[in-house]
Amino acid sequence: MTRNLLKLWAFVKRDFLSEVSYRLAFLMRVLGMLFSLLAFFFLTKMIDPNTKGLDGIPPFDWLLIGLSFQFYFSTALYSFSARIRSEQLLGTLEAMLVTPTPTAMVVFSSAAWDFVYGGIRVLLYMLFATLIFGVTLHVNSPLSLVIGVILTLLSSAGLGILSASFILYFKRGDPINFLLSGATTFLGTVFFPAELLPGWLQPLSNYLPITWSLRIVRGSLLQGKTLSDLRNELAVLALCTVILLPGGLICSRFAIRRAKREGTLIQY
Amino acid sequence: MSYSIEAQGLEKTFVKARSIREILLHPFQRADRVDALRGVDLHVAEGEILSLLGPNGAGKTTLLKILACLVLPDEGRALVGGHDTTDENSVKRLIGYVHSDERSFYWRLSARENLRFFARLYDVPSPRIESRIEELLARVDLLGAADRPFSGYSSGMKQRVSIARALLHDPPILMMDEPTRSLDPASSKNLRNFILEQLQGRDGKTILLATHDLREAEVMSDRIAILIRGRVREIGTVSEVSRWGVHERTYKLEVDAIEGPIDGPFRTLTDERVSGVRRLTIALDEGGTLDGVLRALIGAGAVVRLCDRQEPDLEQAFSRILEAESEEA
Repeated sequence: MTRNLLKLWAFVKRDFLSEVSYRLAFLMRVLGMLFSLLAFFFLTKMIDPNTKGLDGIPPFDWLLIGLSFQFYFSTALYSFSARIRSEQLLGTLEAMLVTPTPTAMVVFSSAAWDFVYGGIRVLLYMLFATLIFGVTLHVNSPLSLVIGVILTLLSSAGLGILSASFILYFKRGDPINFLLSGATTFLGTVFFPAELLPGWLQPLSNYLPITWSLRIVRGSLLQGKTLSDLRNELAVLALCTVILLPGGLICSRFAIRRAKREGTLIQY
Repeated sequence: MSYSIEAQGLEKTFVKARSIREILLHPFQRADRVDALRGVDLHVAEGEILSLLGPNGAGKTTLLKILACLVLPDEGRALVGGHDTTDENSVKRLIGYVHSDERSFYWRLSARENLRFFARLYDVPSPRIESRIEELLARVDLLGAADRPFSGYSSGMKQRVSIARALLHDPPILMMDEPTRSLDPASSKNLRNFILEQLQGRDGKTILLATHDLREAEVMSDRIAILIRGRVREIGTVSEVSRWGVHERTYKLEVDAIEGPIDGPFRTLTDERVSGVRRLTIALDEGGTLDGVLRALIGAGAVVRLCDRQEPDLEQAFSRILEAESEEA
């Protein structure tokens, strides 16, 4: 266990060092976040606060949570496959796979920094929002928030691992990423409430883990809801996690084995 | 005799890439397969350097990748340090892999930072990491440049970092895939000396080296395996392999005091006069003796100034093997 954690830390440190070696780009990204928040702040001034589905939450606050968590969700979705692809192109994947570190650990740890960076980004969004834009965040029930974030992380990681399995096996962009990122943006209540969609599309929103994640985080941070208020949403997200995470792991096992047999594991 | 590496009947085919047009026109047609290995048997003794010599596409890298647990064979089995390659964890602890590709590092990081990262993956104990890296950087003569970004290194330096990485966990077996491919002649020579003197001579490592450089194989190997189209065509010491297909012994002679054709129990391959000295290259078949040759020459009035046995050449043997292989194919 300790050994695996040390390995995970080594991956995070490696990517952090690479990241900060491009100092200007790092700084520009942080500034870019601030500018995008500014743009959304003024954009949401055009939205009627009484819009159906906002549940009394100010439009900017509502969008802020959607934006920051959508980034986290897409990190989980893209980072495994993007990292594997990049390690294949760099030629470093083969060098890692000849070490005694299990292939699955190499694949999943490669994205560790992206998750850390995603977390930092969410925190920065919250910090800017409270300090600059005057958003009030509630932490009445930190437990429901923590459980919600962990479940969000695990369920989206399950989807991300599924997506990485496609890359490992097919060596090209996979349909899972394409479909899910499109569906998330359109149906996942990131930018607008599901209630604004045509009636026949609205139920589809309930099949996306991000919808439930956002209900939990918005409820907890913006409406001060407690664990018992959010138990239904947490149960659905837990169910998504129970299906997606083992599903992703099983698929990745299969993909790694097939890729080794076909000799495509280290090709690009 | 204990073997560090054993391959028994290894077979491997790969799917041939299909164009999008082919996939669209024949979506259900099974893709063609290409033979990479066709029943490879070989063993490498402890402390031995065995070179896998062969043209591009012969299957050298595929064989190394199977032995390093990166690719699964279709048939046959391989043992590394007594462990079957299906027992990945045990095998990977015993091997160090030197890649031909200098891209296999993080170029924005320094050699030391790269080695720290890989030391974790190789399970080097935490208290040992820094001292081991220091020791290895000193061995490959990179201490002075250890904290510079990897991107600024020469090809020779990059290859030395690659060797340091393969040694991090002090494995008894090293697999090297064309380690001198991108090096200039001086760097290649230094690296070869390092491998021979330090890794084999001092540390007693078993080394499996894939190369298509005949000179490298000749200088470095205890034995050579010639791999062509996925099969081990010949295996033995340099002199054994060099004699492949040779049924005659060749001698170089310098003679004086004789003009005109020379007859005897031999075949004259070359006959030339250089700076007033007549130089002959002669071939003796299996029954012929040097004694018979000398008698014939002296009997004809010649003064024999020099008689030198010409050892068969690996390059020529390699060409003969390739020729025989293409005739059979």
